[in-house]
Amino acid sequence: MQDTADQNQETSLAMKFSISKDKLVEGVNHVMKAVSSRTTIPILTGIKINAGLDGITLTGSDSDVSIKAYIPLEEDDEEYVSIEKPGSIVLQARVFSDIVKKLPSDTVNIEADSRLITRITSGSSEFNLNGLDPEEYPRLPQIEEENIITIKTDLLKHLIRQTVFAVSTSETRPVLTGVNWNIQNGKLDCVATDSHRLASRSVAVESAENATYRNIVIPGKSLNELSKILDDNSGEAVSIVITESQILFKAKNLQFFSRLLDGNYPDTDRLIPNESKTDIVISTKGFLQAIDRASLLAKEERNNVVKFRTLSGEVEISSQSPELGRVFENVQAEEIKGEELKISFSAKYMMDALSKVDSQDIRISFTGAMRPFLIRPVGDDGILMLILPVRTY
Amino acid sequence: MGADQSQGPRVIFHIDMNSFYASVEIAKDPGLKGKALAIAGKVEDRRGIVVTSSYEARAQGVKTTMPVWEARRHCPELIIKTPDFPLYRSTSKQLFELLRSYTDTVEKVSIDEGYMDVTAALNGIHPLQLAKNIQRKVLDALHLPSSIGIAPNKFLAKMASDMKKPMGITVLRKREIAKVLWPLPIGEMYGVGPKTEAKLKHIGVQTIGDLAQNNAAALVEKFGVYGERLYKRANGIDHRPVDPEAENTYKSISQSTTLPEDTTSDTVVRKVLSILAEKIADKLKQEKVTAYQTSLMIRYNDWQNITRNQTVKQPIQSKDDISHIAGHLFDRHWDGRPVRLLGITVTALEELYKATKQLDLFSYQADVKKEPLMDLISEMDHRYGEGTLRSASLYKKEEP
Repeated sequence: MQDTADQNQETSLAMKFSISKDKLVEGVNHVMKAVSSRTTIPILTGIKINAGLDGITLTGSDSDVSIKAYIPLEEDDEEYVSIEKPGSIVLQARVFSDIVKKLPSDTVNIEADSRLITRITSGSSEFNLNGLDPEEYPRLPQIEEENIITIKTDLLKHLIRQTVFAVSTSETRPVLTGVNWNIQNGKLDCVATDSHRLASRSVAVESAENATYRNIVIPGKSLNELSKILDDNSGEAVSIVITESQILFKAKNLQFFSRLLDGNYPDTDRLIPNESKTDIVISTKGFLQAIDRASLLAKEERNNVVKFRTLSGEVEISSQSPELGRVFENVQAEEIKGEELKISFSAKYMMDALSKVDSQDIRISFTGAMRPFLIRPVGDDGILMLILPVRTY
Repeated sequence: MGADQSQGPRVIFHIDMNSFYASVEIAKDPGLKGKALAIAGKVEDRRGIVVTSSYEARAQGVKTTMPVWEARRHCPELIIKTPDFPLYRSTSKQLFELLRSYTDTVEKVSIDEGYMDVTAALNGIHPLQLAKNIQRKVLDALHLPSSIGIAPNKFLAKMASDMKKPMGITVLRKREIAKVLWPLPIGEMYGVGPKTEAKLKHIGVQTIGDLAQNNAAALVEKFGVYGERLYKRANGIDHRPVDPEAENTYKSISQSTTLPEDTTSDTVVRKVLSILAEKIADKLKQEKVTAYQTSLMIRYNDWQNITRNQTVKQPIQSKDDISHIAGHLFDRHWDGRPVRLLGITVTALEELYKATKQLDLFSYQADVKKEPLMDLISEMDHRYGEGTLRSASLYKKEEP
């Protein structure tokens, strides 16, 4: 195999560069988040590599989500890439990603010829891969960069974490599989609900004046992937550009495109109770741990139900399963106001909600055993969690 | 559970009440005794068919499922009564309480029949004597005639109880099956419905004996597990235990109705589905169970049947839930031909006290609304007896 390239004199060099292995692995890992093995478009099982005069761009896509990772020639006085001949190639994503991770040397040389044969060398290792025609790779949407919205990376990751867990996993109402974003007057409101619970988070964002977006529904899956590849420690901001059907997140050396969901997101404001009959304030951690213990006897097929009732100065959490037994636990409340209450709810939904709240105490507001109740962190109006109770007969 | 536990011979009774509804009516009004009596649905529409009749009526040619007008032609002095189900249910309850005073292993099969495993309860009494005692006691206490089959398993006991009616006691030993059971026409075998009967006759099986001596492998191939079960039973083999819990694990609740006229009207269909759903919801409430699967049966005017079902994650109990799903199934599967019969069955039942329903943000108001009303109904039932308060739609005249 050593001499394949030399034997075929008619073939010409289509692309050639060398790159830092670590940078390549990092970029490939990022774009792999968008590559799906179950795509109907064969070329999308590949990663597109483009060697330009200013650096290397990797692209992965499943047509819903597309990710571009950029590796510049140099950064902070360190040289990452050296381009010998600019050009493009598409390589099978799975095998390419496995190969680059295991290459022996710190530097990787990649060259493709006009027959799309790609030679990858690193140290004494050499791979020859059959590439795919880069001309067949779909073009990513061209997005006009108007009305850019800017948000700190860690804040964006936070608000994703605090909302995306509540999206629906069922396709019966597709629009509920996304998180609804509304942007107005420099404020971003995010809402997710699977109709059994709801999570809502508001944050301030920097945006052009009068930048107003309504009914932007981003697939929950996209936000999960985005959150994974955003760098926690970068103090940098993410720029967001929204069009009719796409949203683009731009971070340093990274572009993340997602399709938006069609359909009208239901008006959830209307469904959130604005009065309450019973209010409790309780330690987030203490309550979460008690629910976690009670959930050990709660069964998934029975909606993970735990029972909750108010006593004087404390609340009782209990659960029972005919097969396993029962559990009771009292938790001291900071404050209990209003009517006595007995209610049943899913331990899972409660734990999901509580684990997304960072404040020391939470306030829970109930309006009755069959009505949704609200959980808010004390001292943070930006977060609201809502849970529908479980009806027992 | 099941087959291999049955060590040693068992003594199983099958007790079958003789023309139960008619007998209950006679017990209530002794003036009816010795008269030709039929229990029948409404006389004025097509549903007016004989549900059951007294032996005096049967002697004159009145048969179950016969339309009332035809029954009257056979027996002009026939007394017709409409069914009083609450009375039949409460009588049935007393009956099973009485049977349970003999042994705990009583399995209620339906309102008027059940199995008893008396193996452990005999204590030296001859099975025939015990059966006589039970039959006597049922007659004295409830004024109801019954027939009892005694056999080593459920199938044979069931077949035996059918052999002498009314007030019969029949012992069917396994060694007697060739003489007693095998000559019977295949259609009389318990578990063989009209469809199977036709299929079996088609392959030359005319009697139970023909089935017993058939090639087992061929039966399995043609009828699957069901074929194997029939073959074993025809040979007197049946390992099913008498299960006192069987009653509590209702497998399904069904309601169906033949329409007064064939219809293609959506309005009529909705109305019928809503009536059926209401009956099922009542039954669910009464049995204190809830369901996770609903199926709809449509019979077209050419007698073709289709059955389609839907499973849900959250339990259904209300009329609205049931009629909503049934309506949805109808919309998806109706092919536009005239409909002759509609039926709804709910399955995957769970006892209500075990059931939980995760409420939904977009529909919880419906549950909120029902809650106070349900509380009120159950309180009134509790205080003043069942059926004190019912939803108004139950009182509406059922238009044909």
